[in-house]
Amino acid sequence: MIQIRSLTHTYPASRKQAPRKALDDLTLAVAEGEFAILSGPNGSGKSTLFRILCGLALPSSGTVTIGGFDLFSQPAEVRRILGVVFQNPAVDKHLSVAENLRLHADLYGIKGDEFARRRDEALGWTDLSDRLDQKVETLSGGLARQVELAKVLMTRPQVLLLDEPTTGLDPASRRNFLDALLRLQRQWKMTVLMTSHVFSEAEDVDRVAIMREGKLLAYDSPQALKAMIGTEMVVVQPIGDAEELAASLRAELGLAVRRHGDELRLEETENGAGLPMLEGILDRWRGQIKSISIKQPDLEDVFVHVTGKAVPEHATHQAEAR
Amino acid sequence: MLSVAISLAKREFVRFIRQPQRVIGAVAQPLMFWLFLGAGMGTSFRPAGLAQTSYLEYFYPGVMVMMLLFASVFACITIIEDRDAGFLQGVLVAPVSRMGIVLGKVFGATAIALVQVLLFTAAAPFLGLHLTLFGLVLLLVGFVLTSIGFAGLGFLLAWGMKSTSGFHAIMMVFLMPLWMLSGALFPISGAPGWMNVVMLVNPVFHALEIIRAPFYGDGLALLGQSGYLISLVVVVAWAGLSLLGSMKRVGKRERGV
Repeated sequence: MIQIRSLTHTYPASRKQAPRKALDDLTLAVAEGEFAILSGPNGSGKSTLFRILCGLALPSSGTVTIGGFDLFSQPAEVRRILGVVFQNPAVDKHLSVAENLRLHADLYGIKGDEFARRRDEALGWTDLSDRLDQKVETLSGGLARQVELAKVLMTRPQVLLLDEPTTGLDPASRRNFLDALLRLQRQWKMTVLMTSHVFSEAEDVDRVAIMREGKLLAYDSPQALKAMIGTEMVVVQPIGDAEELAASLRAELGLAVRRHGDELRLEETENGAGLPMLEGILDRWRGQIKSISIKQPDLEDVFVHVTGKAVPEHATHQAEAR
Repeated sequence: MLSVAISLAKREFVRFIRQPQRVIGAVAQPLMFWLFLGAGMGTSFRPAGLAQTSYLEYFYPGVMVMMLLFASVFACITIIEDRDAGFLQGVLVAPVSRMGIVLGKVFGATAIALVQVLLFTAAAPFLGLHLTLFGLVLLLVGFVLTSIGFAGLGFLLAWGMKSTSGFHAIMMVFLMPLWMLSGALFPISGAPGWMNVVMLVNPVFHALEIIRAPFYGDGLALLGQSGYLISLVVVVAWAGLSLLGSMKRVGKRERGV
């Protein structure tokens, strides 16, 4: 449904900055009815890719087709099947919920009984039914987000693009938003591509793409990505200098040891090999270890493994809050 | 396209009337200009070649143009606000024609400007100015065209602006001089030669001509006067070009190198 081929985007030079390559020969496909998450550290090119997919920017080279239409030569056809949820809700805060839905329906040519039917249906997925006359500026962040989702889903898009839609939401609102989105995506077999920093959001989706410096580093199902780094991980919390202990572990065990905050994580252990390794580490380095445990790798571990970068701090906080 | 433009224009108007301070400011500022400047200057200056006309009366159509300028151009500031708030992106990704987006903003600005200037027109009889029915139609045409011209120009300028303060600066150094050199404050006949030329190529001068004329001439007869027709053509061209320029600007997408 979404076909991105050899996409390259270089921002022109400005007075303060040399030309900057944001996307580098990126190729990616999201099949019809798939839910894919696009992740990567800051500056990885996610936002640039999102702007191009929305039709707000043109790339330096490459092609994109959405629903069989060429995005660059047939933008009007693409817009008809596309729904977009931006990081900042694209709603008018001075208008009421009902007025925002009406205006959005007008932009998509949804009128009369059809509008009333779709509006009521959209409100059924939200907690907004008794807030129709309330101005959006008086709603909480979570409810404003629901207005955005309701207005976009009201148009029944075949393809939905979302740019970090849960930014700023509390954990409960974020879960509600994602549950509603996943339910509708499955029900309508909608193709969804969503950028996100929060890895707990990616556990239930079909595919996860990880980008860095404009390149696609990994793209597979969450299960397959986690399997990449082994089925078990040993997590060590050092007492003293973490770097010194990491170097010693690397040298003696010959395994990949990565820093994750205050912790050291030993990857690529086979199933069942975690416990003997844990015992071996305890025997050898007991005096330097505050705690040690075995865990299943999650998508955060995959992200650190693939990008070589720590998980963005705010994403970790959100995940912890959850 | 038209239904989209009307929906977007309606939004502009609703937002305007829900902000009382904006309504008060838009009406009160030109009114104060007219009363204070008109009354103050009236006793000291007499417009060249217009011995029978009070300065308050002379300045009256100029204030109308000023109202259209302020209302239309300030309405375009919302482009910057809409972009910052994220609303504009939502409109740009919708399946609507780029001209629909431009017309939505311009029609909204024009509606806001018309309400203000029509209220001000009610003062005409107190100055001894009277309109025929056809003259009123021509005056309305003048208001609408001028407002579209200003709103289109405001749209074009606001689209590329990153901040509202930058837009205010551009307005003061670019749009206000257009009004100052329109004949609103002083007639072209008393202006020095070089200024005469600048005024003649200024579309706002012609806008003022087609707004002033219905107060002093028979409506139908005006259509036979070459001076009036030339000004009308200039204003139509200005409005059309500013709309086309705005549409082109909206359709232009950031491109990688």
